[in-house]
Amino acid sequence: MSIRFEKVDHEYSPKTPFAFLALQDIDLEFTEGKITAVIGATGSGKTTLVQHLNGLLLPTKGSVTVGEHTIKAGEKLKNVKDLRKNVGLVFQFAEYQLFEETILKDVAFGPQNFGVDELTANEAAKRALKTVGIDEADYEKSPLELSGGQKRRVAIAGILAMQPRLLVLDEPTAGLDPQGAKNMMELFRSINKKSGITIIIVTHNMEHVLDYCDETVILEKGKVIFHDTAREFFENPQYMERARIDAPNIIRFKELCRQRGLEFDRDTLSIEQLARQVAARRKKK
Amino acid sequence: MNNITLGKYIPLDSPIHRMDPRAKIIAMFVLMICIFIPTGFYGYGVIALILVICCLMAKLELTYILRSFKPMLLMMLFLSVVNAFFIKTGDPLFTFKGFTLYSGAITQTLYIVLRLMLMIIITTLLTATTKPLDMTLGIEDLLSPLQKLHFPTHDVAMMISLALRFIPQLLEEAERIIKAQASRGVDMENGSIREKIRAILSLIVPLFVSCFQKADDLADAMEARGYVVGARRVRYKQLKLRFGDVMTIILVNVLMAGFIFAAVWLRKNNAI
Repeated sequence: MSIRFEKVDHEYSPKTPFAFLALQDIDLEFTEGKITAVIGATGSGKTTLVQHLNGLLLPTKGSVTVGEHTIKAGEKLKNVKDLRKNVGLVFQFAEYQLFEETILKDVAFGPQNFGVDELTANEAAKRALKTVGIDEADYEKSPLELSGGQKRRVAIAGILAMQPRLLVLDEPTAGLDPQGAKNMMELFRSINKKSGITIIIVTHNMEHVLDYCDETVILEKGKVIFHDTAREFFENPQYMERARIDAPNIIRFKELCRQRGLEFDRDTLSIEQLARQVAARRKKK
Repeated sequence: MNNITLGKYIPLDSPIHRMDPRAKIIAMFVLMICIFIPTGFYGYGVIALILVICCLMAKLELTYILRSFKPMLLMMLFLSVVNAFFIKTGDPLFTFKGFTLYSGAITQTLYIVLRLMLMIIITTLLTATTKPLDMTLGIEDLLSPLQKLHFPTHDVAMMISLALRFIPQLLEEAERIIKAQASRGVDMENGSIREKIRAILSLIVPLFVSCFQKADDLADAMEARGYVVGARRVRYKQLKLRFGDVMTIILVNVLMAGFIFAAVWLRKNNAI
């Protein structure tokens, strides 16, 4: 499923004193089957960008193509249901969307809305809950009884149960503890590896980008200023500075070493590689 | 959600924006009273002229004011239909299949519609040019004589300001939840009644949950900073009446007096 932005502008409250151009002239093509990170400072348009993918927001200029759907500025959206079924969008603090009496019912809500019968929807829900690691004993509990992290998992299962072909996550790890956040990212990677679906993640956490993402898109004031592989991104620290983002620990560590006269290869991006290089140098001495 | 204009503050810099909120509230209140003094279309013309001047001074765009009429359109339509059927004063204008339209119905309807429109413009003018916080300060001050009767003016003002403060946030929250549920295939507009009820539930339940949570958090945050209900408190922001504010209050009162005289005079001469 190809995902392409062509000359997209998005303006909030146009023609009022509150008018605000959130996206400007976006030309972007997401690579199929990869995990792409969308990063940028607060207010740079990340959330606005991803909400175009399932037609929640419509471009005020240009067009967005998602698979066989084309969303053009000024045109009414056709076949919204099919688009939303194929694009699973998980919101920031997704746990706030839970409302059903039981966890299973809540997760089955999505597929049912897309016309799947109850039995099949429940099957899909159970599979999704298993994927995100919710215990079968909890299926009949109220979602409000769960802990924050578990609620988030249930909310994500609610999207996975729709079996989308593109998964979009808006800051899925915000507010989770480090271990919970890490488990969550592992989960996305395994979903990506297993089913090969394209994943787009909006995030502020560079460690996650470094460890789990294949490509990086940087937004600055509503414009795309960088789109390349994550590796390329981390080898060019000036972009991190521009986007006002704290570099991952390993990059900062390398920078501190460099200031003290110890240079490492630019493409050394894992602790293991770094340790091996340090060991090799010691041996030389 | 963003096209709700009624009651939204528009941050601009104008003489009307800079006015003391108390003077503004009094002026708007007196103008409202003027609308109800029966001076016929002449009076409405005068008020409309004053409001147009105020809107120009406040740098508000005409389209913005017009948009705030939108929620009232249906009501106006309903009123005119009911009036057409039930008011049988004035001269009969035409008869169609046993139904006669009287001139009184037309003038009465026009009266009501104009009155509504003027009232909407007045409230829009007040809310669009006054920060919610200033508004509550003004209300608190204006209510302060009631303190002698042990009326909790500060608590009332605090409640109003909290309620006002949460309106945009709740709208935002509702919009977010609507979007999140739309991503799960909820269709708020189409579908059977059963589906619609479920769609609305999917909005209301999360909204209630987050409302209670926010109220709890806010109460904790206020108490953590030493807020005690009913305690005597001083205020950082002091309101000051300036020359223009005093003049405005005097002018609107003169206007009201003029309206009363005009109403009496018109009644005597059977002009309306």
